[in-house]
Amino acid sequence: MDRVWWFLPLCESLHFIGMALLIGVVSVLDLRMLGMARRLPLGPLQRLAPWAVLGFVINLITGAVFIAANPRQYLGPPLSLSFAAKMLFIVLAGLNAILFYVSGLKRAVDGVEAGSDAPLGAKISAAVSLLLWVGVMYWGRMLQFFGKSF
Amino acid sequence: MGWLHALEGSSFSIWLKESPSIWGYATILFIHTVGLSFAVGPSVAIDLRLLGVGRRTPIAPFDAFFKVIWIGFWVNAVSGTILFVTDATSKLANPLFFVKMVLVFIAVALMIVIRRRVFRAPGLDREPVAGLGKVLALLSIACWFGAITAGRFMSYVGGG
Repeated sequence: MDRVWWFLPLCESLHFIGMALLIGVVSVLDLRMLGMARRLPLGPLQRLAPWAVLGFVINLITGAVFIAANPRQYLGPPLSLSFAAKMLFIVLAGLNAILFYVSGLKRAVDGVEAGSDAPLGAKISAAVSLLLWVGVMYWGRMLQFFGKSF
Repeated sequence: MGWLHALEGSSFSIWLKESPSIWGYATILFIHTVGLSFAVGPSVAIDLRLLGVGRRTPIAPFDAFFKVIWIGFWVNAVSGTILFVTDATSKLANPLFFVKMVLVFIAVALMIVIRRRVFRAPGLDREPVAGLGKVLALLSIACWFGAITAGRFMSYVGGG
């Protein structure tokens, strides 16, 4: 597959499109929880969430393609520092999302009507989510600079 | 084209390209990526809502996110200009650079039209989104994703 010159740039394009989908939905949900656009009811707004999951799955697949194409640049030895940091931040963002569900915050947020504030726990979860995802983008961008991934 | 060479040869461009500092080129690229996410991301979220995702959510309050989109856009206009300056001659020789610029221009124009035509429509949130609104939303997604694709292929085609 990687003999075709356009295959990797196509996967890179899809990786950025997946990123835009994921960050787009995450930023709208998180900023609403933090108090922006308070007239949006948070229950139905979360119908956007599957599109963030779609973006994430696109990036999981295209990301696996990048590693398969150049495994040593990511996995080493030596293991790329930026790659390890990016994976750590993704795991932390995932744990933050799981915590949002299992802590009951999700159920509380489902009931946040138009004009109401999200509970403090949801605001903290939203702020952490935004910071972690921007962190994921940071380490992704640093791959070619830190730890010589390219 | 003498001024392009002058831009590329300026001490700023050379520092940005050649400095091993993580605060130079790498940071500008990171800022350009964050700007992309916050310009394109909320635009696409609005487009998805216009296309019927989360139907029970009112559309009008999404207006607040145009601010985020504009901040993302201006962050990228500035960071993009800096990236352009360091590499002006090969960017201008690359047809995909123009494709990207035209698609970004149309995508931004579409967001302005969506705000004027859909968000300020008298029947907003009382009547279903008109066919025009859905067409604008689809075109918006197509132009943003097209601009991203052109931007990525730029580094593989035509040297830039």
